[in-house]
Amino acid sequence: MSKFDVKMDKAGESLKVNLAGSIDEDADFTQLSLAGASKIEIEMSGLKSINSCGIREWIKWLSTVPASKISFNQCPKVIVDQINMVDGFLPANAKVESFFVPYYNDDSGAEKNVLFRYGTEFSDSAVMPPSDVKDDDGNPMEMDVIESKYFKFIKK
Amino acid sequence: MLRTVKKSGISIRYKILMLLTLIPLLTLSIYLVLAVQIFEKDKVAYVFDSSSNVSGAMASQSKAQFNSLLSEVKPIFQDFLTNGDFTGSSNSIFNGDGSLEGLVAFQYRGTSKKFERMAFLEKTPRSVEGIVLGLEKTLPDYFSELEKSPRIVKAPYRDDRLFIFEKVQDSKESNVTVFMIIVRLSELSEMYKAESSQKLYLITQEGTILFGPLNTLGLGIQTLFPAHFLDKTTTKVAQGAEAVTDQAGVDRLVSYSRAGFGDLLVVSSVDKKQALGAVDILIRKSLMFFGVLISITIIISLLASNSLTSSLTSLFHATKKVSEGDFNIRVAVNSKDEIGALADNFNLMAAEVSRLLDETAQKVRMESELQTAKTVQETLFPETQAKIGPLSIAGFYEPASECGGDWWHYCQAGRKILLWIGDATGHGAPAALITSAAKSASTIIERLNITPAQALELLNKSIYDVSKGRIMMTFFLAAYDPETKVLSYANASHEAPFLIKKGSSPLKKKDLIPLNEVNNPRLGQDRETKYKQTTINLDPEDMVLFYTDGIAEIQNKMKMSWGERDFLKAVVSANKDYPTAQEFVARLTQMIQDHRQGEILIDDVTFFVVKNDLNV
Repeated sequence: MSKFDVKMDKAGESLKVNLAGSIDEDADFTQLSLAGASKIEIEMSGLKSINSCGIREWIKWLSTVPASKISFNQCPKVIVDQINMVDGFLPANAKVESFFVPYYNDDSGAEKNVLFRYGTEFSDSAVMPPSDVKDDDGNPMEMDVIESKYFKFIKK
Repeated sequence: MLRTVKKSGISIRYKILMLLTLIPLLTLSIYLVLAVQIFEKDKVAYVFDSSSNVSGAMASQSKAQFNSLLSEVKPIFQDFLTNGDFTGSSNSIFNGDGSLEGLVAFQYRGTSKKFERMAFLEKTPRSVEGIVLGLEKTLPDYFSELEKSPRIVKAPYRDDRLFIFEKVQDSKESNVTVFMIIVRLSELSEMYKAESSQKLYLITQEGTILFGPLNTLGLGIQTLFPAHFLDKTTTKVAQGAEAVTDQAGVDRLVSYSRAGFGDLLVVSSVDKKQALGAVDILIRKSLMFFGVLISITIIISLLASNSLTSSLTSLFHATKKVSEGDFNIRVAVNSKDEIGALADNFNLMAAEVSRLLDETAQKVRMESELQTAKTVQETLFPETQAKIGPLSIAGFYEPASECGGDWWHYCQAGRKILLWIGDATGHGAPAALITSAAKSASTIIERLNITPAQALELLNKSIYDVSKGRIMMTFFLAAYDPETKVLSYANASHEAPFLIKKGSSPLKKKDLIPLNEVNNPRLGQDRETKYKQTTINLDPEDMVLFYTDGIAEIQNKMKMSWGERDFLKAVVSANKDYPTAQEFVARLTQMIQDHRQGEILIDDVTFFVVKNDLNV
């Protein structure tokens, strides 16, 4: 299990938070104060896993800044799954700006995470996936998720 | 049963004591023997040297006295040889020397072929005549000896008188004259008589004692002790020494010096034991010194061995206690050496063992309690297979540890069939307690004939009140009405179950329909949460798969998680021919085991399916 790692970069009222590792019962959010930041960007591409204890701490952490505008960037699948499943994981004042969608080719076993960006691959109510995702050998890849489940948070 | 180790053999204390005592004792003994041997040899050499000096000095003094006497009487000899008799001048010389008692001149007569007395001088009238008569038998022998040696000295009367025979002959050897000088050498005799540890003898070549201690005059020196120096082979040796043992068995150190007058020798004899008395003193004093030294060594050894072994004895008794099961024993050793370090390590070890035993006992107790809790928790779960109305139900549950945080349940409440599944935060005993609370609450809720959303609101309050927001629970509750074929459900952030509708073609992943139209916060997150619900139609042969997230986290021996993709593949594969609920669960269970390869679970695994059977 990779250790939870946080980097915070505050510039005025803007705060950039870079998260990596695993969020579990050992992840200490009490030292990560979001207070005073009106705009918070959370970069999550380095997150590997999150368990139920981590979810509890996550929701508690983000609830400390109900008035801030929070954006989730480069959310990995583990986070998107929690966004879809756990009510409150994505607070009302937060918005997903980009997230990864896993693709794979069943024949070759190739895997790829494709970044879906707000305004390009998805909007507030629709998903516009890239028409043609191919692996390094040019083989077509298909989405490795159940779309009705994975994109549920977009269509709320 | 621990075996007590018994002490046997010689105590280490006595071994140390013996070692510390025997080493100096042995060393000192060897030193003493060597020192005594060297000292004795040196002393013997010194005694020989000293005796030789004494005998040599006596020989010189005796020789000087004899030569002086001879010089004095030589004019008398010349007077006789010139005049054929002793004249007045001879008388004058003779009478002038008090030591001379007589002087007799013998001449060899061819006619009688023997020495005849020709003239004599005497201090006491008629004394010489008496002496000559007394020596009538021995004189011929003396004269015979003179044939070999021109001068001999005798003491026929065993007193301080010596008879010096001096043979004089002319160049043609036609006239042979023998002068017998009777002289009393009292002073010289007294010197030989002097009482001391060193006895002096003036002897002839034959060993006859001329002067010596009392009661030895006239005796052969050989009667006192062996006199190898009188052997012919050593007759020409002027001075020498030898160690002998006398007839009484007494060791003696004998030295001798030739007097240089006739065949006389001066012999010195010392009792070796007396001569080496200093050696005895040395040995005695050394033994006393060694005794004191050994006593001090023993006392120091006793103290040292006591100091050493008291710590070891403490350790021995402590280890004995440990072997008897008493791990609370501690050793008090204050030394800072290896024994002290050993004692410290022993104390640490005993404390650690004691702590581990306590932990083990506590662990055993906790395991026992957990086993009890597991037994109790198992009663919270329903039979894994059931048939309620049109629904066939089959499930699987395995906790990651003794107690789990997953819970599933089904029951009939009125005409509705309630289907419950939840997953408490974490797993283990704390999560199991929440599932117990959920089960207790469900028992009441299922009698209330309320909707799933209302049921979750009550359940949420129950969980919140129990956990105070510290432990939450995802939950999915569905209620199926067989009459309307409507399935109502409310979700509290739980994994959305999949609705699987029977199609004309084999099932594909995209055919899995997640029941995620509504979602709500987890139970226990906020006491006042209002829950929403929705409905779907559950047609004949429709199947719903309920599960917890632990199923995708199942790891194999390579620590590789099963993952959502393989899980969904397995679901599709197990349902390709739309089997019964029981068959589907059996297939999925087998696929899980194939991946898992006996590896332990990292999270609780729960899933169950509900199938609306066609024939109802």
